[in-house]
Amino acid sequence: MSLQREIPVMANLLQSNDFQAEINRKHFQKHNCLTINLIGSPGAGKTTLLERTIAVLKSKHNLAVIEGDIFTSKDAERIAQHDIPVVQINTGGGCHLDSKMVEKVLPQFQWDNLDLMIIENVGNLVCPADFDLGEDFKVVVLSVVEGDDKPSKYPVIFRNSKVAVLNKMDLLGLVETDLGVMKEDILKINPEIKIFEVSCRTGEGLEDWTNWLDDQVRKTKERGA
Amino acid sequence: MHEMALMGGVFEAITSTLAQYEVKKVNLVKLKIGKLTNAEPDALQMAFEAYAKGTICEGAQLQIELVPVKARCKSCQAEFDVDELAFVCPVCEGLGVEIIQGEELLLESLEVEQ
Repeated sequence: MSLQREIPVMANLLQSNDFQAEINRKHFQKHNCLTINLIGSPGAGKTTLLERTIAVLKSKHNLAVIEGDIFTSKDAERIAQHDIPVVQINTGGGCHLDSKMVEKVLPQFQWDNLDLMIIENVGNLVCPADFDLGEDFKVVVLSVVEGDDKPSKYPVIFRNSKVAVLNKMDLLGLVETDLGVMKEDILKINPEIKIFEVSCRTGEGLEDWTNWLDDQVRKTKERGA
Repeated sequence: MHEMALMGGVFEAITSTLAQYEVKKVNLVKLKIGKLTNAEPDALQMAFEAYAKGTICEGAQLQIELVPVKARCKSCQAEFDVDELAFVCPVCEGLGVEIIQGEELLLESLEVEQ
């Protein structure tokens, strides 16, 4: 005779990712290395923002980059030209990085003298938002040409990020995007988020971003001093 | 399609749970999915069928309960439903709010035949 019953489970589906993310976080903290997770749709300007940021902060701090990409190493090659350590992770079709992929490449860096690790996630405004990599905070990059409806259509990433960088401000006049609506929606979703308006092409607004990030790196360094 | 990765988490939890029971068949798998996640029910269903094939879960029904977003104001402690994703306290208009519900990605329970 068969018997029917209900077995309570209450297991978090991200359990194993979150567990590894905490181990990664402890690793970054032990080395007083500020770690950020850069997320945005394909073409938002993540790699270009990264290059501009490296150019300014490289002389002040020791930087390194983990590049997430589905198939290619094109971005890692761009970063390597700046003469800083970079490791490529190819997800082989996967739409996001997870904490185990990051853990696997950690031994490839010299942690004793790193101050800032930037992880560039796979170009995607959706999936990476749910996966903690162990970073200090997430930075979402959105270009203004993508449209002012994007924050309300993809709220999770804006809710989960500490910073939003609005890129391609130089193109604002050429598109229908209402910057006021875009910012208002972002602040509605996350009133504590910090917004930077930049153009990686012209350099407009970049100093505010790099000054702020410089400050965050210093604070993390001081914590360990 | 990170629903495949999430479903990997479901099956990890199913495997470790069923290791403790004598089970002939799984009839129903219940998930709780917060609305403030990026998990899409249709994609979860597809991923479930792919994972369940050839296992004790093949043919089982997947039930997904979508959990609405609720928050608590950090200044006045009021609890409220977050409508249209506006994270502002309706009582004191405070902007510092913590999410108390709506971020769940949970395997709640299994209905099985023993």
